[in-house]
Amino acid sequence: MPMSGANSSSFASFHDVELCSYAAAGERRAFGELVRRHGSSVRHLLRRMGAQAAESDDVAQDAFLAAFERIAEFRGEGTFAGWVKKIAARQYLRRLQREKRLSALAAEGGKDEADAHVGDADHRIDLDEALRGLSTAERLCVSMCYGAGLSHGEAADALNLPLGTVKSHVKRGLEKLRARLAPNGATADGAVLEGRRGNG
Amino acid sequence: MAEIDFERRLERLFADAPELPDAAAFTVRIEGRLNRGWNTRRWLLGAAGLAGGVIGASQLVVSNLFQRVESAEQSARVLGQGLARVTPTTDMVSALSGGYGVWLAGGVAILTMGFAVSRLFEEL
Repeated sequence: MPMSGANSSSFASFHDVELCSYAAAGERRAFGELVRRHGSSVRHLLRRMGAQAAESDDVAQDAFLAAFERIAEFRGEGTFAGWVKKIAARQYLRRLQREKRLSALAAEGGKDEADAHVGDADHRIDLDEALRGLSTAERLCVSMCYGAGLSHGEAADALNLPLGTVKSHVKRGLEKLRARLAPNGATADGAVLEGRRGNG
Repeated sequence: MAEIDFERRLERLFADAPELPDAAAFTVRIEGRLNRGWNTRRWLLGAAGLAGGVIGASQLVVSNLFQRVESAEQSARVLGQGLARVTPTTDMVSALSGGYGVWLAGGVAILTMGFAVSRLFEEL
């Protein structure tokens, strides 16, 4: 049971799980501290999934508000950030579905932009840059599985796509990312990169 | 396994998100929306309580409750006197069997109802 009387500055030293229990008791400042800690990573994830800056902010706000309403459901089994990211990723997909953009994005073929940049591997390429070389569907699937922590099966459900299609997008996306993020221009060693989440 | 190493690295890269320059403003916006929602709820609760109070008070007046309470007090007093003749009593029992008991029960009932209503709104 959270004690009463904690002020905003004292929340800074609390663990996420403690802050969640305060927030579950209706303490909005504790939830504000959680937003302060994880807001940027949630917004980054949405941008990596393909959302524009303003859109990612809107979705992230809605996701945090939804998380506050459902904070009692958070049992501390994973991290709070991971939990909110899943909520945000699903909300973004719902928004795409509402605006009828999802089917177009998900069905989009592997427009291969990776080759143009493989030679740049001598330079340090950050993840955002590397993700730009993926097709929209690949970026969406890889971000959902490795950024939001969804399994392939959960991603397939959220995207309303067959599991095999999601696995293909992830596999191709990982191969491209591996080529682009490999140090000193090393490329994938031919191993099949279906991913640990391949069991659906 | 190389693939697993790469996947872990990828997860770390995804988790490693630098703070955005407008992070503080983003937090303030969310806190503002939370507070707005909370204030709206408080106003709604207050308005509902006021409306309920007005309706309850008007019902009390209309139903002549006070006259009924007075007659109930008299009945209780008569009953208490009867009991006093039959059984030994204590001050507490006689107090409860008189007018105080009715008012006390009414007060407890109102408090209980208020608690129940506030819990119901919290759950909503």
